[in-house]
Amino acid sequence: MAKFKIVVSFLLLAFSFSAFSQSEKWLVTADNAKKNNPLTINPKNMAVGKNVFMRSCKACHGINADGKGRTQSPNLIADEFQKQTDGAIFFKVFTGKNKMPSFKAKLKEEEIWSVVNYLRVLVNPSAVPPAVDIKLEVSADDAAKSITAFVLTADSAKLPLQDVDVHFFIKRYFGLMRIAELINNTGKDGKVTVNIPEKIIGDSLGNITVIAKIENNFLYNDTEVSLTKLWATPLTTGDETFNQRSLWGARDKSPLWLLFMANGIILGVWAVIIFVIYNIFRIKKAGKIFIK
Amino acid sequence: MADLYRKEEQVKKELLRELYTDLTRPLAGYSRSGKIWIGFLLLLIAVGTIMYVRQLKIGLGVTDMRDIASWGLYISDFVFFVAVSLVGSLISAILKLSNINWATPLTRIAEIIAVAALFSALAIIVVDMGRPDRLLNIFVYGRLQSPIVWDIIVVNSYLVISLLLLYLPLIPDIALLRKNMGHKPRWQQRMYKILSVGWQGTEEQFKILNLSITSLMILIVPVALSIHTVTSWLFASTLRPGWDSTLFGPYFVAGAFMVGAAAVVIVMYIVRGQYKYQEYITNYHFDMMGKLLVLTSLIYLYFNINEYLVPAYKMKSAEGEHILGLFVGDYSLMFWFVQLCGMLVPILLMIFKPFRKPKPLMIIAVFIVIGAFFKRYLIVVPTQLHPFLPIQNYPASYHHYSPTFSECSITLGGIAFVALVITLFIKFFPIIPIWETAHEKGISNETINN
Repeated sequence: MAKFKIVVSFLLLAFSFSAFSQSEKWLVTADNAKKNNPLTINPKNMAVGKNVFMRSCKACHGINADGKGRTQSPNLIADEFQKQTDGAIFFKVFTGKNKMPSFKAKLKEEEIWSVVNYLRVLVNPSAVPPAVDIKLEVSADDAAKSITAFVLTADSAKLPLQDVDVHFFIKRYFGLMRIAELINNTGKDGKVTVNIPEKIIGDSLGNITVIAKIENNFLYNDTEVSLTKLWATPLTTGDETFNQRSLWGARDKSPLWLLFMANGIILGVWAVIIFVIYNIFRIKKAGKIFIK
Repeated sequence: MADLYRKEEQVKKELLRELYTDLTRPLAGYSRSGKIWIGFLLLLIAVGTIMYVRQLKIGLGVTDMRDIASWGLYISDFVFFVAVSLVGSLISAILKLSNINWATPLTRIAEIIAVAALFSALAIIVVDMGRPDRLLNIFVYGRLQSPIVWDIIVVNSYLVISLLLLYLPLIPDIALLRKNMGHKPRWQQRMYKILSVGWQGTEEQFKILNLSITSLMILIVPVALSIHTVTSWLFASTLRPGWDSTLFGPYFVAGAFMVGAAAVVIVMYIVRGQYKYQEYITNYHFDMMGKLLVLTSLIYLYFNINEYLVPAYKMKSAEGEHILGLFVGDYSLMFWFVQLCGMLVPILLMIFKPFRKPKPLMIIAVFIVIGAFFKRYLIVVPTQLHPFLPIQNYPASYHHYSPTFSECSITLGGIAFVALVITLFIKFFPIIPIWETAHEKGISNETINN
């Protein structure tokens, strides 16, 4: 037992050291810090950066990158962070340390660089022009089960817009399920087409609602359109199992043996209780006769 | 011959008067220390209430309960209070049905402890709810398949039975109070009048009363066993390490009898010291309660050995982690305190007669009650800190649970409430049954009635 205590206390000691080391500086070698950002700050890269940030960074660092996410994490818009070189930030995202996971395998290098750009723009909003409204339309191809988004300028000219990233989702019970890529850029004709996954389950009739969205974009304001199509496999529920009486069933599906037993016990106990309460009144009555 | 009879009657009347004066002494008024005591309890209850109102406003975030440990001190309190309440059935039913008569002066103490603890148990469940305004939903939507619903039904039934078992034997005593408490405030006299339900002590009334008490005594035994068995099923009907055990029902019941008997010893000691009841609660009673405590503790020890050593021998992965946490890990200090100071050492001491004298026994009982409280905590909390399913993206602090000030003060408030109910009961009703004691001293019904 004493041996065990020693092991436990040793582990505790080691653990407290590792906790201490967390607060130490995160050193980046000079050549890593000097690495140049190959990407220029343009709307297309910015959109990639924002999309990646929203997907991979927001949970911990918070929607504003101020460190107020679900766990305690560094403030990315603080001066202390921003004074690092692009290369240093890239290196830290790439390798990870302690609570910060490594994104080596999860993100492409360009994606990491575009997140770095996004963080730069966050503290310097004037680097990008104000966003404008655009028009988003969708059309469907029933034979190919594909959906095409068409992005146009919002003015009367209705010119097609190239290189606008459109996000596609299918509406599910509790939220939206992304389909196609994280970023789907429109072509020269302002159109981008995606296929609906096969064997997707819809409602009881087989309807699915496809949503096309423009979001996280620096040039254009958020907008979305949706379309409902009878393209999916109808949802069949195993009613025959769920309608049986069972322990996991609903209130009106209690097993008969349980109802019988539980209610029998309750009735038996309360019959005696009611009998005793009735006896209190009998005692009272018996007392009244005596007074006469 | 008639003279002799009259003389004997006179002696008995004298004896009854003496008995009555003695046993209604606590009703006379409040001493200085009594007032301080009640004030102290009210203060604790007030702090608990304030913290509860704060909890209602802010939410359960004021506790340290999070996703992983979603049952904390409150549920431990609940299990503890339910355990304490079981003693009512032990002393006033099981012993009585087995024709063990030495416990007669203790029946009311046991019953009032049971009732008071049940009030607190029910209150603490509501405290544990994040949305107490949805309390009624359990009756509207509750499923009979759920052990929680069984628990609610059985706790409430037990409360009603305990109240009746407290009240019925009181009726003849309340009738005596009705006759002799003319100097008390009017509301109190009215209370006695209503509660005595026109008791005249006729043969028929006694017949109905005895029949009712006997029915309740028989009824309360299975209900008492099921109240704590069902409470244990709240844990045992899951698959979690430390809870997944077929022994849990009897294990809980045995533990409950032990802590309840200890609680009775403490209240006995205080009542005896405070009101000079050495004549009614004698060293013999303490000796017997000590023996009863040894018996119940030994049974509980036996279950503890089964509950811990059998899984410890096998050390199945999750179960092993749980056991190591208790034996040598985070909870080892509390665990060994509970096992040694709350069970093993008390048993060893109480085997020897000198330790069954009032004062040493009371001190031992205090340790048993404290140990039993922590024991409930050890049953409820550590198991939850080893979740079976991995959970992602939550703060590391969720892996630990330590009660906050809110939880502790509300717990203290609950314990103070139990003490206050007992104290106030003693101030309004004779804590030692008058007519039952009179009967045992050979005073007939006619003498009591007149």
